[in-house]
Amino acid sequence: MAALGKLLRSTGHVDYLGQIYGPGEVDQPPRPAEYALGTFVQLPLATSPEMALVGVIGDTLLLSPAFGALGPRLTPEVDLALFAPDYVNEKAVLVAILALGTLDANGQADQSLPALAALTDTEFEPLSAARLLAFHTAGRGLRLAYAARLLALDNPLALALLRLIIHQLRQLPLTADQLAVLAVLRTQLAWQQQVRPFGAE
Amino acid sequence: MALIGRVKGPGPSRHSFSVVAFDQHTALDSGEFVTCPIAGRPVLARLVERRPLRPYPDSFLTAPELEPQHIAAAVGYSELQPPPVELVAELIGAFDPALQDFINPRRLPEVGAPVSLAGHDQLSRLLNRRQPGQPGAAHLGWLLSREPGAVPVVLDVAALTSTHLAIIASTGAGKSYLAGVLVEELLGPHNRAAILLLDPHGEYGSLAALTGQPHQPEVAVHQPGSLKIRTGSLSLADLRYLLPDLSERMEYVLGQAYRQCRRGDGWSLAGLRQAIAAMAEPEAGKKSSSYRETANALLWRLNAVFEDTLLFDDHAPLQLRELVRPGQATILQLNDIQRRQQQVLVAALLRQLYRARLQTTQRTISSRSPLYLPYPVFVLIEEAHHFAPAGEEVVSGGILKQILGEGRKFGLGVGLISQRPGKLAADVLSQCNTTCLLRIINPVDQQKVRESVESVGQELLRELPALSKGHRRGGSQHPAPVPGATPPNAPSGAGHRRPRGLAGILWTKNVATFWPEIVTTTASPSAISNLAVVLFDDNHSYSESSNCRLTWFGCQDTEPLS
Repeated sequence: MAALGKLLRSTGHVDYLGQIYGPGEVDQPPRPAEYALGTFVQLPLATSPEMALVGVIGDTLLLSPAFGALGPRLTPEVDLALFAPDYVNEKAVLVAILALGTLDANGQADQSLPALAALTDTEFEPLSAARLLAFHTAGRGLRLAYAARLLALDNPLALALLRLIIHQLRQLPLTADQLAVLAVLRTQLAWQQQVRPFGAE
Repeated sequence: MALIGRVKGPGPSRHSFSVVAFDQHTALDSGEFVTCPIAGRPVLARLVERRPLRPYPDSFLTAPELEPQHIAAAVGYSELQPPPVELVAELIGAFDPALQDFINPRRLPEVGAPVSLAGHDQLSRLLNRRQPGQPGAAHLGWLLSREPGAVPVVLDVAALTSTHLAIIASTGAGKSYLAGVLVEELLGPHNRAAILLLDPHGEYGSLAALTGQPHQPEVAVHQPGSLKIRTGSLSLADLRYLLPDLSERMEYVLGQAYRQCRRGDGWSLAGLRQAIAAMAEPEAGKKSSSYRETANALLWRLNAVFEDTLLFDDHAPLQLRELVRPGQATILQLNDIQRRQQQVLVAALLRQLYRARLQTTQRTISSRSPLYLPYPVFVLIEEAHHFAPAGEEVVSGGILKQILGEGRKFGLGVGLISQRPGKLAADVLSQCNTTCLLRIINPVDQQKVRESVESVGQELLRELPALSKGHRRGGSQHPAPVPGATPPNAPSGAGHRRPRGLAGILWTKNVATFWPEIVTTTASPSAISNLAVVLFDDNHSYSESSNCRLTWFGCQDTEPLS
């Protein structure tokens, strides 16, 4: 699969910030739907090439040099591409990637806190449906061991993110028991997110 | 067995546990029986409480035209599954076939253990020592929480008649109906019991309709005056009770005259009158008797009581073997008779029955004796609080207590029916090992039941005010207290009534008024509307949407039961 972008920095051991490739950086820049909130990505680990970090896009940030530039510019907006092409390239889409675990080439998954960190400039690409299934079901039934860790992060979107993940997993070829697990989690999270703020227990 | 939930953890009391049920629409009524494994053995438990686990915010309930799930859907919660419910179950125990009783496992089920609805057959076997139609079985109705016909409630006649019975209920709650069902079962071909029913209000005459049915039970109804007690069977205490407020001199004259006229096993009214008149005569060597006025006054009192009596006669030898016979219910209607005379009649009858059974059992009389009674007798006493009242000495109280204490040994059982257990003597109700409790509203009566019937749990007692007509709680001889409903096709002791719903009024307190108010809900699945009564307001702040505590009061049937 084509890379979506590359890592710029991290804000913690499991919180990475990546830049989505823009026009001119790759032949076909990714479409917004390919890096939507809740998209699973994998990041190869330089120290263990057969191993990849599995993460999920947990936030989106937009960057533009026009932000904060309150004074007038000599070049009109429509002529910027002609007279200042480098200015266009300074606009960027950044995504926050939350590392959830690791997955090797054979589909062996580990959802515990990943010990190894990815390096800057590591390219990240979407996780295929087969690898997504392997990450969540590898040999021991359905597992979302990262869920509690995700909810514990200081991220106001964590609850909604987990609901998005569950929604994606429901599209996979799961057994009835596995779907029942997801149904219970979905109901609980929906109540927690949608009704509890209004004063329910 | 249908899996209904899983164990959440310990409950509010020591022997209770919480269960999270899968589906709130499953019929898991309070009182329902469930099983769960403890140490590998299935243990029976009874549901006592039910509450939703995820109640909607109060504000979602304030729009009269909208259901809360519509408001929840508007803010993004559109799950189709109904919110789960939490149940509280009280352990009954694991049934031990050898002991024929439940053994408390003394530990709670593990968290996550499966909880299943007890099967009909399983419940029927566990709750009843006998099955309907078996010899010694009295089929009183069906388990309330199951559909009619699913789980019978069957009492063991031997235990019932030997260790005594009490039927307790408020007026109109169905106790006469239940007694009628019981009489029919006892008279059935599989039991053929000998029953004497003392009926102070004359309301059991309709049982005569049983005569002529296929198994041909006999019902003999004695109107006031058609059955008389021989005066000679009355004791001096009976006489004194019939002649209240005698002066000391009158008491003396009565005692002397009674002792003079008593010959062997009895005395006659004529003899007593003669003996009293003799005391009015001058003694030898004196012009007049010192007791003349007293004796004349006593004679006047005696005549006033006995001249118009319908109950006592010098020449009416009571044939016990004709009065009570196997397969026959004898109903003594005592309406239109003074309370004191009723009490004396009951005392005299019970005394004779006790003596007859005692002497027959101990073989101290021959089969030719009028007291010879070679079969057990079950005596049902309606308005029992008249015959053994609390805090009052009445002539029937002593013999009643004696039979309750010792009658078991001689095959003489008593069934007490009362709408005022609070007025029953303290040691009477507690002697009844089988208790059928129907709706009881009076707090004093509830307290009396609480004190007297050890096997009734607090949760059951809390339900007593909310039971409907014909709904009852059984205690004691059932291994576990069972809620039941009398079968609708049984003839009633009070006019072949069918159990129906009821309506009533308790009290409410809301923002501005303290008037009784009945509210209805339409959440029930059929055209039945549940009546609920606002008991009192929980919310001290009285906002626009006050929290009110509702008590289910019953259902109004829209169609007669068939």
